[in-house]
Amino acid sequence: MLFVIQMKILAIDTSADETAVAVTEGRKVLSNALFSQISTHTKWGGIYPALAKRAHEERIDWVVSEALRKLETRNSKLETNSKSQIKKKKNNLAIEQFNNEAMNHIDYIAVTQGPGLAVALEVGIRKAKELAQKYNKKLISVNHLEGHIYSSFVQNSKGNPKREYKFPYLTLVISGGHTEIVLWKDHLKYEILGETLDDAAGEALDKAAKMLGLGYPGGPVIERLAKEVENKDFYQFPRPMLKSKTLEFSFSGLKTAFYYYLLKTDSVFPLRSSTESVSEGRQTDPVEPERHKKTGSVEIHLRELASSFQIAVFETLIKKTEMAIIQTKVNRLVVGGGVIANLHLRKLFKELVVGYKGDIYFPPYKYLTGDNAAMIGVAGSYKAQESKFVTDPLKLDRIPRLRLS
Amino acid sequence: MKIISLQSENPSEVLNESLEILQKGGLVIFPSDTVYGLLVDATNELAVKKLIQFKNRPWGKPISVFVSGFDMLNKQVITDHRQTQILEELLPGPFTVILESHHLVSLLLESEKGTLGVRIPLYPLIEKLVNQFGKPITATSANLSGRSSHYSVQTLLKELPESKKKLIDLIVDAGKLPRNKPSTIVDLTADKLKIIRQGDVLFLDKKTYFSHSPEQTKKIARFILQKIVGNKKLEKPLIFIIKGELGVGKTIFVKGMGEFLGIPDIISPTFVVYYEYASIHRFIDTFVHVDLYNVQDPEEFKHLRLEKYLEKGNAVCFEWGEKAGEIMNKLKDKGRIIYVEMKYVNEKEREIKIRY
Repeated sequence: MLFVIQMKILAIDTSADETAVAVTEGRKVLSNALFSQISTHTKWGGIYPALAKRAHEERIDWVVSEALRKLETRNSKLETNSKSQIKKKKNNLAIEQFNNEAMNHIDYIAVTQGPGLAVALEVGIRKAKELAQKYNKKLISVNHLEGHIYSSFVQNSKGNPKREYKFPYLTLVISGGHTEIVLWKDHLKYEILGETLDDAAGEALDKAAKMLGLGYPGGPVIERLAKEVENKDFYQFPRPMLKSKTLEFSFSGLKTAFYYYLLKTDSVFPLRSSTESVSEGRQTDPVEPERHKKTGSVEIHLRELASSFQIAVFETLIKKTEMAIIQTKVNRLVVGGGVIANLHLRKLFKELVVGYKGDIYFPPYKYLTGDNAAMIGVAGSYKAQESKFVTDPLKLDRIPRLRLS
Repeated sequence: MKIISLQSENPSEVLNESLEILQKGGLVIFPSDTVYGLLVDATNELAVKKLIQFKNRPWGKPISVFVSGFDMLNKQVITDHRQTQILEELLPGPFTVILESHHLVSLLLESEKGTLGVRIPLYPLIEKLVNQFGKPITATSANLSGRSSHYSVQTLLKELPESKKKLIDLIVDAGKLPRNKPSTIVDLTADKLKIIRQGDVLFLDKKTYFSHSPEQTKKIARFILQKIVGNKKLEKPLIFIIKGELGVGKTIFVKGMGEFLGIPDIISPTFVVYYEYASIHRFIDTFVHVDLYNVQDPEEFKHLRLEKYLEKGNAVCFEWGEKAGEIMNKLKDKGRIIYVEMKYVNEKEREIKIRY
């Protein structure tokens, strides 16, 4: 393999509710800093908009400094006194001085251009432009989905895991905001084979959790409840779009069927009181919500419902992936995005590829399933190798519905 | 029989050729907002006879007509205040309304009771054609009686025997038409409004629509947006407040509006709160699709910076709109509000109420 001198990239992602900055070198993550606006046990489910923009604005400088500080702890070239200075004083001047020094070790700036929330993306892009201008660095714009696609090939600072690329791959990005099947032909070469026409898979799970009164965000709770009944299917909810030969997804029909089942069996949680359900879900044990008071003594098979809904979503994902394997004859899979943190889904995917004598990669570390800047930096490094820089940084603008191309 | 293909650069040529043939009493097959239609001069008895012969239409079965707008409509049929109110809601659109005729068209087109079906289509080319022609033109589907309607010229010609083809003077081929059903026929002559044939857009009264499928929901949305946008520049931004339970089809409704604006890839914005799209419609620049599902506190709303979109030429859709409560007054000042309330009638059917 050709030896490539790897450059250091400072990467920023503010597409949703995580303010994320990382420093990467090739596939290695040298430092990773994240400020999450929702509790740390969930990496997908939706954005709290108030926090989104304001928090990004308030936190971005801190997260950039944090990423640089973490980098510095493993970089002996940096003068140690600036580190102690920062610890002692924590004043702005010291941070500024420290950042200036640390930025000398950075070659490029990478930033997520989309898809995502417009006001949130703007914060990251503005910061990236500012840094690029101030420190005279080239700017790389990265598609957030591209980041998720590369996330399975991100390595720790020691260069592990050592996964080799064997193109082409069938890639799935499954998260709260996205559900896509992409043919990954080579570095930076993608073809979208199918995507959701309405809700993302993670969003469907979240909404089902809400209907069950489990509070927000609900994906991890559904996973836990389903596990308690061995992920079995009790109610056979419809598998949307399986009859269609295309690789498109749609989860709105399933959502309706589920809502109607709950309505018929008088087990629907009052949807209007959404604020209430959120706080309940957070404060009390979400598995035993207080809703029994409201719906009388009707026994609700929460675990069975959660498991059946989850399996309907997962089976759709698996069957469509199988169709994609048959259509493309590609049996190597790469799956990224927040929903793949679900261990049962991982198991189903593994079983699928075994049947086709293929193999599969998931993001090697849990933080890589959710939104993060490390994956943006790694994807950005391939753009840098091909000299795909932003030609006019001043004109770089967010594209909230940016598509892979 | 001559066939001209309708292209983006030749509409005036198509119009002129069609006008010439219609004036001579000829028969033209023409695209519309529903299916391919059979056009003849509705005031020319001979032309109408030719049409009836072509269709194998039993004598005495009425045939409706296209009019170019309310002026021409009022010349052809008798309307009272109540009927006018309903008409203003429905037209232009995929509806044929039956009213008492002034008997200015060929009597062969009217029913035995002396009523006439009239249409103002949402199809600019027909609107122009009828306008320039200055008289009503027949609006019947281009198929033989008892057969199904046609969405492409090829399938139509396949069905026709040579003897029928000879009766056609001109075919305007606009390719495959989107599969919209023939118009909904509404009888307004009695006290109570009566639906004679159900098309794509169904309604209970002039503000309440019914949908039996996502496709129908989209068509209703498209129809409503088309009506509201109208054909002159908007003075205020359009603000849609779409309410309804989870899974009722709010995003589907917005997708239907998107189709009208040339935006094919609308998806749920729940995760990111809102998505912004560029519209290709001449009166709408930016289309914003907001989902307030995750917005728990009106205070949060401020930070979305949505005010910047509240400018004329834009349309902003809010799903789960009741949470916008506190800012509703602000919205009312800045834009034209359209309330869309969606309800489950049952698992397969939705009621869609529109207020504006």
